[in-house]
Amino acid sequence: MSVIAFILIGFMLTMYVLLDGYDLGVGAITPLVARTGGEREGSMRSIGPFWNGNEVWLIAAGGALFALFPKAYASSFSGFYLAFIIVLWLLMFRGVAMELRAHFPSELWHQFWDACFFGSSLLLILLYGVALGNLLHGVPLGPQGYFSGDLAELLNPYAVMVGIFAVATLMLHGTTFLVMRTQGPAAERARRLVPRLWRVVLVLYVAVSAATIFERGIGLTWIDLIPLLSIAALAWLLFAALGKREYAAFGASSLFVASLLLQAAATIYPYLLPALPPRPGGISIFDAAPSPVALMSALVVTIVGVIAVLIYGTLVLPQMAGKLSVED
Amino acid sequence: MDVVIADRLQFAFTIMFHYLFPITTMGLAPFVALYTIEGIRGDADAAKAAAFWTKIFAINFAIGVVTGIPMEFQFGTNWAAFSAASGAVIGQPLAMEGVYAFFLESIFLGVLLYGKGRVAPQLLGASAVLVWLGSWLSGFFIVATDAWMQHPVGYAITPSGVIELTSLAAVLLSPFAWWQFLHVLCGALVAGGFVVAGIGAYYVLSKRELALARRFVDAGVIVAFIFSILVIFPTGDRNGDDVTKYQPIKLAAMEGLFRSTKDAPLAIIGMPDSHDHDLIDPIYVPDILSFLAYGNFNANVKGLNAYADTLEPPVELTYYAYHVMVGLGTIFAAIAMLAAFYLWRKRLFEEPALLWALMLGMPFPYIASEAGWIVTEVGRQPWIIYGLMRTSAGVSPTVASGEAIFTLIGFAGMYFLLGVLFLYLVLREIALGPSAVAEHAAA
Repeated sequence: MSVIAFILIGFMLTMYVLLDGYDLGVGAITPLVARTGGEREGSMRSIGPFWNGNEVWLIAAGGALFALFPKAYASSFSGFYLAFIIVLWLLMFRGVAMELRAHFPSELWHQFWDACFFGSSLLLILLYGVALGNLLHGVPLGPQGYFSGDLAELLNPYAVMVGIFAVATLMLHGTTFLVMRTQGPAAERARRLVPRLWRVVLVLYVAVSAATIFERGIGLTWIDLIPLLSIAALAWLLFAALGKREYAAFGASSLFVASLLLQAAATIYPYLLPALPPRPGGISIFDAAPSPVALMSALVVTIVGVIAVLIYGTLVLPQMAGKLSVED
Repeated sequence: MDVVIADRLQFAFTIMFHYLFPITTMGLAPFVALYTIEGIRGDADAAKAAAFWTKIFAINFAIGVVTGIPMEFQFGTNWAAFSAASGAVIGQPLAMEGVYAFFLESIFLGVLLYGKGRVAPQLLGASAVLVWLGSWLSGFFIVATDAWMQHPVGYAITPSGVIELTSLAAVLLSPFAWWQFLHVLCGALVAGGFVVAGIGAYYVLSKRELALARRFVDAGVIVAFIFSILVIFPTGDRNGDDVTKYQPIKLAAMEGLFRSTKDAPLAIIGMPDSHDHDLIDPIYVPDILSFLAYGNFNANVKGLNAYADTLEPPVELTYYAYHVMVGLGTIFAAIAMLAAFYLWRKRLFEEPALLWALMLGMPFPYIASEAGWIVTEVGRQPWIIYGLMRTSAGVSPTVASGEAIFTLIGFAGMYFLLGVLFLYLVLREIALGPSAVAEHAAA
């Protein structure tokens, strides 16, 4: 059952990265594709109805982690205290920027919130990437299962490299979303940006993979086959984008992101918080899980709820889709 | 500073600021839904009202969402020992809030705000109702979490000291939780009623938007009247019974009762002094406290002296918060009753004094709700889980007070900015008025 719980949390976090990933990516590429105030507003409107629901995947995954693996939740959140609070502040700034921008008709007001939106989106992706890098790298767990990661330690070269890779990947993800969802000059610029970002992502992917092999060695298990999926998705992405198949490009980008997360999850499994060597182990799904009764009821209510969300989300949200024409 | 104090200050500050917004969300959501549906059915005035209140609702919701995100994560950041010990229980209602309430609210609010012209009108109406449902569900799950910390049920403690869930149904169906939730919900509906009536009264008094304004006053007064009674009886009364039964020391602090007393009087006012164990300059109503607590004018009510000092909550804060809640509750119930009476006699709009009272009374339900939460949370100290875990044992072992103070200051600065922005944007919409807002929304 712990394994199902691990898969469930992995699934919810993957949904979060796929969905909020595109709206974060849109935020991070806005200065590159949107030149005028109207275009910036358009790119924000393209994610307007969706971003909040997307972000709920993070809140829900946090709640599920709390219920299913309380020890891992407690240890990681308090251990990364400052980093987490900074993430919270950035999430708040970003939410305020998107929600309040439209409520006051002033050019300066818009410019201010555009800058906040861009900065917070970019920094959030970077921090998420750094956090993932640290999970793969291992954290300095103490004997009680708690740790205190100071900020300088979290910014180790490997983690920063994963962070930069995350920025490029989600920028590409956001760009494919913008191409799919909007039309106009900004969408054209986004279209031209795809192959250029693609090259950056490819180079960083190879670099991060090499660094990961250097960090963790190579196990020669099925996990090592996942990169084939990633590479296929990445190739399909470029192919679809050049062929102007917008939905396919976004789908390929989603598959690429999901394959990376699958590999990360498979790498740290069965740990939720792998310890930094020389300490062996870490907090695993088996010692972080509560009693079978609690696990069972949390699994049932969460899975039923997630299925319901997936059903009404897929019924309702596509009705909100369709091209948004962004003119100045 | 002691790290426990720093963590508590941060939680208290962030939750109290945050809670201002869910009050409005829960209280306004039914109005938004009703106006939206009436508007779709062809009532042009209701459509204007829907555009106006949806706009206010959206600004309020945005601040509520961004200030709500830190709440769930603060359990882990600042209260790691508490989370590790009790996550198996309280993580469940919190996870359910995310999965069952937040998705509903955020997805359908997206449809409501952006869907006009894209989706069928029926879906817009359904979205407004689902946002309403989501906001109330969210309130329920949060109150159920708190209620468990006030009165734990459905759990067992393992030999290693971890609290295990034995029955999720017991946690979610606990009568303690339900009465607490209904009380909270009635408080929010009083606030919603007062906001709608108060803003309506403002327009009537400024002689603007008269047709809509009267509609707001009518609807707001009726809701405020009904729920200002329900918030006192039965829900407030039943919460009082639960406190008497399960947390008698909180009752003693609320009432400023330092010594156990037979025929205990009720102190209407008075200044408690926990140093000298005395209530200074009280005005008493004889025997009433005994009656309220036990239904018997001669019953013995235990005072603070009956308990060990280490179990005593901060008396002054609990006492004043309780008296502020009850005092304001009495005042707003009186205003709402008077306004409802004049509304029934069809003379409300000839009584400017009453319209002024409705307008100026808008903050009262908010202050009363916040004060009520202070009674609940400060009054249960020194426990974080009543009778099971002390607050001082719940903090994160690796987070120093310096860190918590830094982040508290950061939150304070950020929330000050958010508060200013919120007031500015909402006051601006109110100054524009429903007609202009609706016209702008249609454009």
